[in-house]
Amino acid sequence: MMDLLLWLEESGLSTWLRESQSIMAFPFVLALHTLGLGLVVGCTVVVDVRLLGGASRIPLKPLEKYFSIMWLGFAVNAVSGVMLFAKEATTVSSSVLFWVKMALIALAMWVVTRIRAQVFDDPLIDTHPVPGRVRALALASILLWAAAITAGRLLAYIGPTQPEAAIIFGSQ
Amino acid sequence: MNLAHLHLLLNHVPTVGFAVGLCLFLAGLLQKDEKIQRVSLGILFAVAVLCIPAYLTGVAASEILQDRPGISGELMEAHQDAALSAFALMELAGGLAWLALWQFRRYAAAARPLLIAIVLVSAGAFALMAQAANLGGGIRHPEIVSLDEAAATAPVINTAWLKTSTLRSFINDTSWVWPASEAIHFIGLGLAFGVVLLLNLRVLGMMKGVSFADLHRALPWGMIGFAINLVTGMLFFIGVPGQYTNNAPFQWKIVCLVLLGANLIYFTSLTDPWRVEAGADAPRSVKVMAASAIVLWLGVVYFGRMLPYLGGAY
Repeated sequence: MMDLLLWLEESGLSTWLRESQSIMAFPFVLALHTLGLGLVVGCTVVVDVRLLGGASRIPLKPLEKYFSIMWLGFAVNAVSGVMLFAKEATTVSSSVLFWVKMALIALAMWVVTRIRAQVFDDPLIDTHPVPGRVRALALASILLWAAAITAGRLLAYIGPTQPEAAIIFGSQ
Repeated sequence: MNLAHLHLLLNHVPTVGFAVGLCLFLAGLLQKDEKIQRVSLGILFAVAVLCIPAYLTGVAASEILQDRPGISGELMEAHQDAALSAFALMELAGGLAWLALWQFRRYAAAARPLLIAIVLVSAGAFALMAQAANLGGGIRHPEIVSLDEAAATAPVINTAWLKTSTLRSFINDTSWVWPASEAIHFIGLGLAFGVVLLLNLRVLGMMKGVSFADLHRALPWGMIGFAINLVTGMLFFIGVPGQYTNNAPFQWKIVCLVLLGANLIYFTSLTDPWRVEAGADAPRSVKVMAASAIVLWLGVVYFGRMLPYLGGAY
């Protein structure tokens, strides 16, 4: 396992991400990761808010198209996330917080697919009120994404990789 | 032109703008003229948006001026503290004005208590801002300072209830504030960006089954996300202003946000987008506004994330 992580960290791509000073290298991948976050969390949270009763005049059926944007965001973040992981594979993989983040995202995505199956596969969704179990799923989705974002952001401050903590707390 | 110059241009907007907006709003209420009420609410919101760069450039101006001869550091600090409270109240007034504009569209009338709250909060914001402006004028205008030597050399009395320095130490000396604000800032981003995508992708032709009027109801959720990010973002700025004032991506981010303010008035209040029915294609002008909203939001996210890499912030 360690060999694989080491190989990943020493690959050409990782070295380029670590060492290139170009704004199109690491910073751009990080920006893509933030944009992907906006697409995934933005789309799911808006659907969740609607399911929980916000802006309830919006018909649900057309919102199904929103899921394709969400999957686009997920693809962007899977690719950019693997790149960011590869850059420092051996350190990140030893961070508990990182695996907590991965688990939260896996759970959140599972909840999203459950919501899609329970709500959008039903052709009559707009004719009856949103069932209680779907509302529970929507609430779980919001909480899981908030937790995943928090875990991801805290990676910069807590644990073995803390690029931003070093700047903040080191300089004062 | 530097940021101090820009501050001189912008610093009259909050006081003058709120005086005009508030008087017009009162006239609209007295005459029961909805059109005047809506125009003045738009003015109050726009002034609150411009108050953001007015505050930010003020901090940049104080950095430029602080070491020059004849500049009172105490007076500048008193001005900055007064401006902070005034800024906070003005943003609240702007937020309430936006909500009333939204209600005028949504219900064809705004709630009475909300309109009264706007009058009271705007009047309070104006009073605080006038005090801040008066202190600010004294920094560089000897002609308005009293010739009486005792009065001119009297110590500056700082009456602000919220001191910038107190808030700054709280942000920097409490270990959890910065990381927690970062996490909340990204959650707010998700909420605001989601609503922006929903509305603007619909206008551009996705999810055509929904009418714009129905989607309009989701706007306050996006504003909640923005409000969260304005508060957390200001905590970062107040915590370590020096890393933002001369930071090019930060300046671009604020430019994008101010332009988005105009865009938001368009989608909140104007008739053109409101008329886009379920199943209908939006007119080209509405589509251009929708595309610009998405591009500007991408700019906000991109420049925000680039603060540490193009501008040296963390």
